[in-house]
Amino acid sequence: MQTLSVPLEAYQLVAALLFTIGLIGVLVRRSALIIFMSIELMLNAVNLSFVAFSRQHGQMDGQIFVFFVMSVAAAEVAVGLAILVAIFRNRETANVDEVHLLKG
Amino acid sequence: MLEPVLFALFSVSAVVFAFNVVFRRNAVHCALHLVGVLLSLSGMFVLLNAQFIAAIQILIYAGAIMVLFLFVVMLLNVKGEAPLLTPGAWKGFGFFFALIVFVELLYTVLSQGGTEGTPAAAVPLPPGFGSPAEIGRILYSTWLFPFEVTSILLLIAVIGAVVLAKRKFA
Amino acid sequence: MDATFLIASAVKVLVVLGFVLLGVPLIVWMERKVIGHMQDRIGPQRVGPFGLLQTIADGIKLFFKEDIVPDGADRVVFIIAPALPVITAFLALAVIPFGDTVRVAGHDIPLQITDVNIAVLWILGTTSMGVYGIVLGGWASNSKYPLLGGLRSSAQMISYELAQGISLVSVIVMTGTLSLASIVRQQEHLWFIVPQFFAFVIYILCGIAETNRAPFDLAEAETELVAGFHTEFSSMKFALYFLAEYANMMVVSGIAISVFFGGWHGPFLPPVVWFLIKLSLFLFFYVWLRATFPRLRYDQLMAFGWKVLLPASLLNLTVTALVVGLTA
Repeated sequence: MQTLSVPLEAYQLVAALLFTIGLIGVLVRRSALIIFMSIELMLNAVNLSFVAFSRQHGQMDGQIFVFFVMSVAAAEVAVGLAILVAIFRNRETANVDEVHLLKG
Repeated sequence: MLEPVLFALFSVSAVVFAFNVVFRRNAVHCALHLVGVLLSLSGMFVLLNAQFIAAIQILIYAGAIMVLFLFVVMLLNVKGEAPLLTPGAWKGFGFFFALIVFVELLYTVLSQGGTEGTPAAAVPLPPGFGSPAEIGRILYSTWLFPFEVTSILLLIAVIGAVVLAKRKFA
Repeated sequence: MDATFLIASAVKVLVVLGFVLLGVPLIVWMERKVIGHMQDRIGPQRVGPFGLLQTIADGIKLFFKEDIVPDGADRVVFIIAPALPVITAFLALAVIPFGDTVRVAGHDIPLQITDVNIAVLWILGTTSMGVYGIVLGGWASNSKYPLLGGLRSSAQMISYELAQGISLVSVIVMTGTLSLASIVRQQEHLWFIVPQFFAFVIYILCGIAETNRAPFDLAEAETELVAGFHTEFSSMKFALYFLAEYANMMVVSGIAISVFFGGWHGPFLPPVVWFLIKLSLFLFFYVWLRATFPRLRYDQLMAFGWKVLLPASLLNLTVTALVVGLTA
C-alpha cells in the first residue's frame, strides 16, 4: 500500500468530528465519568490526526507522539479515577455541578 | 480498492460510537461505545500503516485503560443522574461553542491552512514504516529524553493514585 | 492474493475451528476422568465407551435448556457478553503456528492461519479484550455475586497481564522478532525454556490466572460467589463461557509451546503431531494443577501478582537485556 487512496483531508475530517463530539460531551454532560470519557475521545481524535499526518509525510514522529499521548492518557485516567473515587466516597455523587466547595 | 471501503466503515462506526459515548444515559454503555471508537480508530491506524500503534491502541487503551474505567463505573455504581445534561443556558453555550470549534476545524482542514508544508500526495514510505523495530529505534534515539520524562510521569501518577485512594476521609 | 492462498486460508480456518470445537468436549472429558482418578473416583463412564460421549450429552442438554434472562438484566449486554471471550480466543488462535511450512501441489503453505509480524502484541491485545466478556457478564446480570466476580476478574486480569507481557518481552529481546513462526524457527536446536526458565514460570502462572483456572479462579469461586460471573447464565450462554474457558486454555498453551517449547520441533514424528503432543501435556498440566492446589485468597492473589510476579519478570527482563547486550 504505497499510495494513499483516501485523501488526508478525509482523515482530518473524521478527527475533527470526533474532537467536536468529545468537546460537546465535556461541555454539556454532568457526570464526571462521562466527561472523562469525552476527554479520551478528544485525545483519540488528535491521535488519528497525528497518525494521518505521519503517514502523509512518511515520517514516524507522529506515531511516537501518539505513543506519548497514550502514556499521558493512562496517567491521567489513573489519577483522575482515583480523585473521582475519593469524591464519590465523600459526597456520594459523580456530578460535577455539585462538587463546588474548596474544602472537602 | 479495499481501502476507501474500510475507511468509510471505520469512520462511520467511529462517529456513531462517539455520539453514543456522549449521549447515552448509562455510564457502562458509554464506556462500551468508547471501546467501539477505540477499535474503529485502531482499524484506521492499520490503514495508515501504523501497525504498532494499532496494536498498542487495542492492548493499552481498549484492554487496560477502558477496563479500569469500567471497573470504577461498576464499583461506584452511579445511578442514572436525573437530568442528563447541564441545565439551562450553559447547555446552549456548550453546543454553540462546540459548533464554533467545529467550523474552525473544518475551515482549517478544507483550506490548505492546516496542511501548510504538507505534501499533497503521500510520500513513499521508507521500509519498516510503522513496525515495532523502527518505532523502538526512533523512540530510544531521537525521543529518548521525552521517553524518560514520561516514565517519571507514570511513576508520579502511580504514587498519586495510591495516595488518593488510601486517604481516609472523615 | 491468489486463489490458492484463499483456499488454503479457508481450509486452515475450518480445520482450526473444527479442532477447537471437537477438542473442547474431549478436554472436558479428559479433565473429569483425570480429576476423578486423582481423587480415587472413576469419573464419567456411562455414556459411550469410557464415558467419551458424556460432554457431548451435556452439550446437547445445555442446548435444549431454557434460555433465561433475569429481570432487571441489561438485555443487550447480557446477550453480547458470552460471545466476546469466544471471539477473542479464536482471534488469538489465528496467529499460533501448529506446524512448519508444507508443500502441497507446488505451493508453500505455512501451517498457521496468518503470520502477522506483530503476533505477540496481537495475542496480548486479544486476550486483554477477552476480559470484557467476564466483566460485562457480571455487570449485566444485575445481581451482586456476578458483579463481584466481574470486578475481581477485571482487577486480576489487568494485574497479571503486566507480568505476562513482560515475561514474553524477555524472549522477544532474545529473538528480535514478534512473529511467532520466526520465534519457533529460532528454537530448532535449543528450546527457549532452557535460557528463559524463569520467564516461562512467570508466563504460565499468569496464563493460568488469565484463563481464570484453579487455583486462580477467583472470578467464579463457588464457595464464596455461588458461580461468580456466570451465575445468571443458562443454556447456550453458559456453554459459550465454558467453550471460551477451554479455548483460552488452548491459546495460553499454544503460546507457551511456540515461545518456550520449540513449537512444532521434535524428532522422528511429523511437526503437527509434536505440537498436539505438547498441547495435550499442557492441558494435562492445567488439570493436574486444579486437582492439586487450593484456591488463593483474593488479597493473596493480588499481592502475588504485584509483589512477586511483576518484580520477578522485570528482573528477568533486565538480566536478559544485559546478557543479550553484552554478548551481541
